[in-house]
Amino acid sequence: MLPKVLSKDRFADFVARLLGGGRVFAPVAKGPQFAFAEIAGPDEVSRIRMDYDISILPPKKLFMPQRETLLTFKDKGPEGVRAEVKSQPTAILGVHPYDLHAIATLDAAFSKGARDAYYLAKRGATTLIGLNVKAPANENQFAADMNAIDPPAGGYDLFLTDLGDRYYVEISTGAGEALADDDMFTPAGAGDHKGKRAYDAAKAAHFTRKLPYDTRYLPELLDVSYDSLIWEAAARRCFSCGTCTNVCPTCYCFDVLDKLSMDAHSGTRERIWDSCQLEGFAVVAGGENFREERPSRLRHRMFRKGKYIFERTGRTGCVGCGRCITHCVAKISILEAFQQIADQVGA
Amino acid sequence: MAKPRVAFHDFTSCEGCQLQVLNCEDEILGILAAVDIVNFREAIDEKSEDYDIAFIEGAITRDSDIPRLQEIRQRAKILVALGACACTGGLNVLKNFRGIEASMKTVYGEAAGWYETSAARPIDAVVKDDAKVHGCPIPTEEFLELVKSVLAGRTPQIPDYPVCVECKLRENVCLYHKGQYCMGVVARAGCKAWCPSYGGRCYACRGLISDPNNKAAKEILDEKGLTIQNVLDEFRLFNGVYDVAKE
Amino acid sequence: MTQALKENPPLVSAYLPRAAKIVEKRKLTDGETWFRFTFPDAQGVKYLAGQFMEVSLFGIGGAPISICSAPGQRDDLEMCVRAVGDVTRAMHALNVGDTLALRGPFGNGFDMDTVAGKDLLFVAGGLGLAPCRSFILDALTRRGQFGRVTILYGGRTPKDLLFRDDLAVWAERKDAEFFVTVDRPDADWKGRTGVITTLFRQVAKSDPARTAAFIIGPPIMFKFAVLEALGRGLGKTNIHCSLERRMKCGLGMCGHCQIRNVYVCQEGPIFSYADVIRLREGI
Repeated sequence: MLPKVLSKDRFADFVARLLGGGRVFAPVAKGPQFAFAEIAGPDEVSRIRMDYDISILPPKKLFMPQRETLLTFKDKGPEGVRAEVKSQPTAILGVHPYDLHAIATLDAAFSKGARDAYYLAKRGATTLIGLNVKAPANENQFAADMNAIDPPAGGYDLFLTDLGDRYYVEISTGAGEALADDDMFTPAGAGDHKGKRAYDAAKAAHFTRKLPYDTRYLPELLDVSYDSLIWEAAARRCFSCGTCTNVCPTCYCFDVLDKLSMDAHSGTRERIWDSCQLEGFAVVAGGENFREERPSRLRHRMFRKGKYIFERTGRTGCVGCGRCITHCVAKISILEAFQQIADQVGA
Repeated sequence: MAKPRVAFHDFTSCEGCQLQVLNCEDEILGILAAVDIVNFREAIDEKSEDYDIAFIEGAITRDSDIPRLQEIRQRAKILVALGACACTGGLNVLKNFRGIEASMKTVYGEAAGWYETSAARPIDAVVKDDAKVHGCPIPTEEFLELVKSVLAGRTPQIPDYPVCVECKLRENVCLYHKGQYCMGVVARAGCKAWCPSYGGRCYACRGLISDPNNKAAKEILDEKGLTIQNVLDEFRLFNGVYDVAKE
Repeated sequence: MTQALKENPPLVSAYLPRAAKIVEKRKLTDGETWFRFTFPDAQGVKYLAGQFMEVSLFGIGGAPISICSAPGQRDDLEMCVRAVGDVTRAMHALNVGDTLALRGPFGNGFDMDTVAGKDLLFVAGGLGLAPCRSFILDALTRRGQFGRVTILYGGRTPKDLLFRDDLAVWAERKDAEFFVTVDRPDADWKGRTGVITTLFRQVAKSDPARTAAFIIGPPIMFKFAVLEALGRGLGKTNIHCSLERRMKCGLGMCGHCQIRNVYVCQEGPIFSYADVIRLREGI
């Protein structure tokens, strides 16, 4: 599909068109930071901040809610148990390339094996409207190293690049094509293509690489650093608070808990976000904790990000968004760890 | 099966946690359908000493409280500490650091000698408790979770991880990002990060998690410019019973 | 939408359980109860030795429980349940005729055909006899397909010994050697006393290359028993164990049972000792 152009004068019309198809989520200000929030109607278009730097929580919260009902039950036994696989048409507007990569990773993870009906139903009802980003949000981002500054092939429906008075609109799917089939979109001309090229050239210049090695070597570098002291050193200040995994766009570990109604018989079986950083994550019923020490939990997270998820899904487990660094009260940095493992091997 | 008989008792406290029970407006009929409340000074006149579940609000601050608490322990099959004062001693423990005599003088002046007092303690310093509903005040959901779990015969789902978890799920801007500080990194979650969500900061009213990184907490508070005394005060406000608050 | 999503729209929740009915229940020890289940949907169940089920009691929760009956395509299955958590305690209160919810079988299990012709050495400690029983019953059922069969079992006290009917049968069998020991005897105990590794002295020498060992029990017992097996010249790939982890979803997703890059609920719980060493965090 040839790219099109959307004049910013028509942006409100575009949002209205999205609203016609279902719920719309977009970045809005949250104090000095940003969050994806529902845009309830056309009168809320002014809340949308297409100039946002990065959201606090990634868009995964819309496919894998922090709390979602898997089953409803009426009593202890299996009679009357019902599955609650639900979804509603949703558009997410303004997803940056690194987050599109993360969604592609989650898609791969949740499509493996038993295929997760809950995730895939929500994901399947979602229209992704990506948004190009010219410069890192802050010094913690290393998306260029993780090859996540350009959108993944096929990983969006529409992808917008801000060319000042207009958006350059790339179209990747049939759903995107249908959405762009309106007179608010005009075919991109030579000037638009040139504008997009200039944008991407500037982007490449702004997103400098921060790792001394190509990330294809990351899994192996981690492997040889398993016994390194850096995990111990980093974990000294770790609060095991799970912030790093909650803000991570590719973390998907969860717990399953039964919530009871007041009758103490009926209720819901719910899936909630969990974190391998929390002390009780690997505790079995007998009380044994198989990852009791903070350094082993911290190492496990970093290995998941740099190695395990990639090995299981073929997609990156870390997109270099830097959220886990930004939001860590103890300032523990996965970027620093990924840099240090190269020093270790070279030393 | 007969409905469990439930009693509420209070020691040194503001009775705000019992008020929270009355604040379970949507569920109160459900609770009454499931249990018989036989002793609840704040809500009913009747009194019975025959009960299965005893909820205890308040800290123990007088030696004469001890036999009364022990008697409740003997009568109750399940004894639950209700709220910060019962769980950690709460604010009451502040007087232990201030000096009991000095505190008595401040409060009662010349009449200080008329009143009995001792060091403030949580319930489990005197008798074994079977469960704790934390917080100042308790979150109504946690009280309901406890009641439902007792009825269903399961362990209540009470978090043992930092407030940061719930704060982040609400997508709050971290207080440390705003140049402020907060005890959420070591405080037990379960409040849905009430205070940080409404402009306050966490005082760890729900106690500390079982494996808090206190050393790191002291470090980051120090980096925020707090003096050693300030840092101790932060821990002492609700958590004076823990060793970390003592020096 | 990415390619992965287009192919095959999923509709069915993997969390929906099957109903299973308790048709037999027997208290084995103070803390352990044996159950036999059948399936009201008449679909039966097919499983390998070493696989487990996710048991649900709604409102209480779920727990992974290993299957202790002989493997194969069957109408029923058996479990031996120790009351250690909410779910297992609540299971003990259930009665014959009650139904509960099962998902599974999960895990890799172990195909006993792969050790056909070999001598088999079973080493079970404590509750480890439950999963190990599935292997043992299979070997004894098709006894002719294996070489020598030796069973070592250790319990804390005589009162803790599981499946005493089976133990009596195994002791009588002429085509299998069976040895049992307890850590702490009581007044009536006439058998051996001592940790399970002391039983290795009873085991006749066999060709290590033609022997497969199954060592299933608590981590501390595994550590010492594996040294005995290695001392007899067994190769690391011929020693098999079952790892306990918090297998919550059974689907290789929730992360709780993960050891490094291995989801125990799918790629385990049966691992060779060679794999356990490779995992580093295994034992």
